[in-house]
Amino acid sequence: MENTIDLSRRKEELRNHIKDVFPESNLDYCLTCGMCVSGCPAADIEGLDPRKLLRMFVLGQEEELLSTRWIYTCTVCGRCKHACPMGIDVGRIVYVLRGMRPKDQRPANLQRSCELQKAGNSTGIPNEDFVWVVGDVLEETRQNEPEWAGLQAPIDKAGAEYYLNQNAKEPTVEPEEMVPLWKILHRVGIDWTYSSKWWDGANYCLFPGDPKDWEETLRKQVEVVDALGCRYYINTE
Amino acid sequence: MFYAVLEGLRRFKIPHNFEFVSIISLYARWIREGRLNVSSAWNTEGLKFTVQDPCKLVRQGIGDEVAEDLRFVIRQVAGEENFIDVWPNKSNNYCCGGGGGALQSGFVQNRRACGKAKFQQLQATGADVVITPCHNCHTQVKDICDHYNGKWQTTHLWNWIVKAMI
Amino acid sequence: MNNTKGSVLVIGGGITGVQTALDLADSGFYVYLVERTAAIGGVMSQLDKTFPTNDCSACILSPKLVECGRHLNIQLLTLSELVSLKGEPGNFRAVIRENPRYVDANKCIACGMCAEKCPKVVPNEFNNGLGTRKAAYLKFPQAVPLKYAIDAKHCIWLNKPGRCGACAKACPAGAINFDDKPKEHILEVGAVALALGFETYDPSLLDFTGYGRLKNVVTSLEFERLLSPSGPCLGHMERPSDHAIPKRIAWLQCVGSRDINRACNAYCSSVCCMYAIKQAVIAKEHAAGHLDATIFYMDMRTHGKDFEKYYERAKASGISFIRSRVHSVWPAGQAVHTQKGFEYGHDLLVRYSDEDGHLHEETFDLVVLSVGMQLSASARGLLSKLDIPLNSHGFVPFSSFSPNSTSKPGIFICGPVSDPKDIPQSVTEASSVAAEISALLSSSRWQTTKTKEFPPERDITAEPPRIGVFVCHCGINIASVVNVKEVAEYARTLPGVVFVQDNLFTCSQDTIVNMVATIRREGLNRVVVASCTPRTHEPLFQETLREAGLNPYLFEMANIRDQDSWVHQNEPEKATQKAKDLVRMAIAKVRGDQPLSANVVPVHKRALVIGGGVTGMVAALSLADQGFPVDLVEKAEGLGGNARRLYRTWQGEEVAEMLQSLIDRTTNHANITLHSSTTLERTSGSVGRFKTTLSNGKEIEHGVAILAVGGQPWRPSGEWQYLYGEEERVKTLLEVDELCMADENVKATGRSPLLSQLNHVVFIHCVGSRIPERPYCSRVCCTHAIDQALKLKELNPRMNIYMLYRDIRTYGQREILYQEARAKGIVFIRYDLNNRPTLTKDGDTLCIGAMDHVLKRPLVIHPDMVVLASAVEPRRDAGELSKFFKCSINAEGFLMEAHAKLRPVDFATDGVFLAGLCHYPKPLEESIAQAKAAAVRAVRVLAQDVVPAESAVAVVNPAKCVTCGVCAKICPYSAISKDPVLQKASVDASLCKGCGACVASCRSDAITLKNMGNEQIMAAIEAAMCNCGG
Repeated sequence: MENTIDLSRRKEELRNHIKDVFPESNLDYCLTCGMCVSGCPAADIEGLDPRKLLRMFVLGQEEELLSTRWIYTCTVCGRCKHACPMGIDVGRIVYVLRGMRPKDQRPANLQRSCELQKAGNSTGIPNEDFVWVVGDVLEETRQNEPEWAGLQAPIDKAGAEYYLNQNAKEPTVEPEEMVPLWKILHRVGIDWTYSSKWWDGANYCLFPGDPKDWEETLRKQVEVVDALGCRYYINTE
Repeated sequence: MFYAVLEGLRRFKIPHNFEFVSIISLYARWIREGRLNVSSAWNTEGLKFTVQDPCKLVRQGIGDEVAEDLRFVIRQVAGEENFIDVWPNKSNNYCCGGGGGALQSGFVQNRRACGKAKFQQLQATGADVVITPCHNCHTQVKDICDHYNGKWQTTHLWNWIVKAMI
Repeated sequence: MNNTKGSVLVIGGGITGVQTALDLADSGFYVYLVERTAAIGGVMSQLDKTFPTNDCSACILSPKLVECGRHLNIQLLTLSELVSLKGEPGNFRAVIRENPRYVDANKCIACGMCAEKCPKVVPNEFNNGLGTRKAAYLKFPQAVPLKYAIDAKHCIWLNKPGRCGACAKACPAGAINFDDKPKEHILEVGAVALALGFETYDPSLLDFTGYGRLKNVVTSLEFERLLSPSGPCLGHMERPSDHAIPKRIAWLQCVGSRDINRACNAYCSSVCCMYAIKQAVIAKEHAAGHLDATIFYMDMRTHGKDFEKYYERAKASGISFIRSRVHSVWPAGQAVHTQKGFEYGHDLLVRYSDEDGHLHEETFDLVVLSVGMQLSASARGLLSKLDIPLNSHGFVPFSSFSPNSTSKPGIFICGPVSDPKDIPQSVTEASSVAAEISALLSSSRWQTTKTKEFPPERDITAEPPRIGVFVCHCGINIASVVNVKEVAEYARTLPGVVFVQDNLFTCSQDTIVNMVATIRREGLNRVVVASCTPRTHEPLFQETLREAGLNPYLFEMANIRDQDSWVHQNEPEKATQKAKDLVRMAIAKVRGDQPLSANVVPVHKRALVIGGGVTGMVAALSLADQGFPVDLVEKAEGLGGNARRLYRTWQGEEVAEMLQSLIDRTTNHANITLHSSTTLERTSGSVGRFKTTLSNGKEIEHGVAILAVGGQPWRPSGEWQYLYGEEERVKTLLEVDELCMADENVKATGRSPLLSQLNHVVFIHCVGSRIPERPYCSRVCCTHAIDQALKLKELNPRMNIYMLYRDIRTYGQREILYQEARAKGIVFIRYDLNNRPTLTKDGDTLCIGAMDHVLKRPLVIHPDMVVLASAVEPRRDAGELSKFFKCSINAEGFLMEAHAKLRPVDFATDGVFLAGLCHYPKPLEESIAQAKAAAVRAVRVLAQDVVPAESAVAVVNPAKCVTCGVCAKICPYSAISKDPVLQKASVDASLCKGCGACVASCRSDAITLKNMGNEQIMAAIEAAMCNCGG
């Protein structure tokens, strides 16, 4: 039959690769019980689900694994692993598969977000723009809302207790969404700061599946926060 | 994104001098400690709230503890009786369907199909407001609401805290 | 001097501990039975019905509990725990702390007034927290001892003396004692049996189940209580949230089992598949068929005797089996705004994937979580106190060859403490432990036991009937419906009645003592008790008569509870009338009852064991070690049976060495006479005195017999042949085991191993099992096949191995092998009967065709070897042999035990026992436990000088007998023969079981059953029909 799988010629490179790079994945432990499928929001989209994905490894369906778009519909939410009796981390296996794909065959926007992130932030706006927007919005609030005349939005304040980041969407698309957070922090009275060098709260380099890119961007952030000498790193999402 | 930092620090064993925290945990702590005083008195119309648990913050991040903090803050801000939880919830909640790069990847139809479960559980709450503490979730929850004709309002938490500050 | 103690400490009062205690006490040892709670019975007492017989659990358990409670050589220590244990095998010193009951057990008449008046309401742990009890409580209605207790944690007085005391004021017996103190018992015992039971997994640790947050998600044990008549909804099956009767119930399997992620219990709990099916079947009965029952599972594990047929029947009855695990349970439908805020409905939504990967949603009224087994914290604490370590799965490690021993000599284990197991298996092990202890302490048999002395029987032949009638209230069981006083007054008016009394509980200790005195004082010569049921209580009252010097057959019971107050609750007047009728009938019958002589048979203290495989040898050795001579008969020339072909157990223990030592011991044991190349010619007699003629001409007299005739591998044929016998690359499991053993030898000589050359090996499971011709699971093959595949992987880690299976049934900790096999890359492919794998040969190439169960794509494999996991079947001659002993076989040809649940190694015929593969396919450790169990059951007979025989036997009136021979043919016990002198039918009283078949068959009315003759029965019927004032 046309779609017959000849197991005597079963390919094991991909399966072994997963086991090499991610030994605790438990890939082979799958009981094919279907618990993941029933809990997966991406199940039965494009005819795939976590169980079938794992089965393709077991049966050596390497071409299919390396070409399916399902790995971009799976959101790596980890709900499968949450209940899986064998604790199989399908999400991380998906990341590995994404990372094995040549960059030019990955969803363009996803890869671009990461490339931009490596350069500073995922939107690609210059850091000066962020500084300017924050200052502008702060000034406007102080003027329009007299009760908040003392509002602060410190940037690069060395020695502040808290470092704060901000999703790049706010300074670029909806800058007014930054104000409520400032007001809360002001009311609580903590000593905080942004960094003009690394202010983006997202890290899109996790998603394309290149751990090196993820690590590189994270190291940059860590350097920035430690350089400021902040005791706490607040993530806003 | 919370998980990218939390897990990255762990996996790549990156030395650092700070403690990594979520703003949600801090809101809850500040309210409990009396440093952030809020009241639900503003909610005279009885707006009903429900919540989205971001996978990267809750299930893959801190777990049920931060999910409880999140609910605590919403209850304080909106009023105990005005919060209704989704099912399943907390560490077992559904993904919005837009995470893990799905929003950036561009397969819109698949992404919305993936968000169907999220839409159904949010719709079942009958809530007026869905609090989304994550920007990815925010964008996706708003999109599926529009796409599947939901009636709720998708918002960040901070707007409501400011509204409730006394 | 003999320092060996003749007494034994049994810890744990569940069915396992109870069985060990009874077997030991009946074999000549004094037993202390220590139970942590206020009554014995354990988890089995909480169950509603039991599989596969659907017996009421409490009904089959209660007689054992009552027997235990009344046994002269068993001392119950409830509310007690072990403080310390010192010493060595044969001579231990145990310190036991008995916690205060605050109710004097000698005074308590179990009237329930204390509980009625107690104001403190607490959750009822017997109902798993569903429903409540009082701080003064009876653990459950059939509790043994039937004594109330006060829960110190909740009692108001005990926490604030002077504040309450309502129970003390209400107690008519003055039994409440708030000053009760813990007592210490120092016991000298020769051995210790640990029957520590299990607890169920707590699913609130798994958030996705919803347990603990959704009221209508319950555990399987909670569901047993919802079904049980003694449960919180009195058996009406209501769901907790709104007491509605569920119409749609889902069972979710493997909750807390086969899970290394969240639950951390890697093993299979063995029993959940069967209990879920049973619950679905029983729930359907409760709902009179109006129930949608759905079981969500991953592998259906119905690997026990008659389980597969039960499963098939359940499927046929409309229960849905969905092979899919459910991720989460949550409320169905929209939240609605109520006065209390937002609320979801009570119904539950379940989303599942079918086998093709398509998603479905279904709504249920109730979800039952089939929770697994684990050791309780208190059991773990006790084991650590005894310095007995646990394995990584939290169980006590065991050797397959000595499954009930621990690392501490003289301390034995039985039941789920070493591996999850069901009741028959636990009961078997309970007896197996008794055998171990009976052997260890055999020099002190009957040394510390007590003997019951009865006064001489009074001759009443010349006396007119003087009947005493005792009418029981049974607390409120009878009295709330039947007007007991009125019944008692009525009885007084009947002819021959000279004494009448009504009692709150006729069976309570004080009433019994009182009854003995009354019989003597009033000169009674007949007794009627109107109460519960003779099934559980007749022996108690008969013994009471004996204590008063009356023949026990001068007694009748009127069943005014089970057959009256319980079934006519809504018609008290008619029920009272019926009670009077029943009492009148009993009085009429007892008037004609005559004293019957106690028949006994002297015991020939010698055993016959048939079968020289591992089971037969172990049984023979156990008997021999317990001090009894044994004749061991084996058909073949050598000993060892199937085990000679086995390479290793699933725990990795090599069989050959164990087998050789077993053969050596058997051959050399002074108490064993071996008859090899020998078969049975004929057998006659009954328990205590069998006579068997062997093919070697020898005639053996023996008191008991154990059938251990084994089983055999089925030879693949027909549609399951898979080229077997035609193609040498197709082998069976045993053939590959032989190759493995050969390989070991090859390794020793340094040459390259035979099997390691293979590249692709396919195993086909269920070859010949679970099909209409053989509708049972062969139990051992999944584990055997997987272990063999792992062995092949050891020989060559790069070998590609494929397992074609239907359900993997690696029950208990065998599941770890399955996990290991997957981890090592062995590929498991599921097939079903509609889509069986094919094996063809193209030139010299073998080709397996199958369908992948996940991707739904055809697969081909070109194997170098195909291994068939073929069925285990009974030996064809097993049926013939069983006939010698009047034992029956089931439809598949396996020998049939007396009761599947509680008498797993007994035959219905007294004095004959069974063990091993002739009972059902099983692994070595289970055969060994069964062999020892059979041995101690046999010793219960051999240890006696005489055994009681039926007294109410048939007698032939030779004057009426026409010697037609019908009765002799019809007698199931061959008790009737032609008297050589009289040429009339004659009944051998020691063989007669009093069944009455001959009486009914006799056309000449020549046969009578003693005390069941026309005289008595007609008197009762006439009394029933007359309208004499009642």
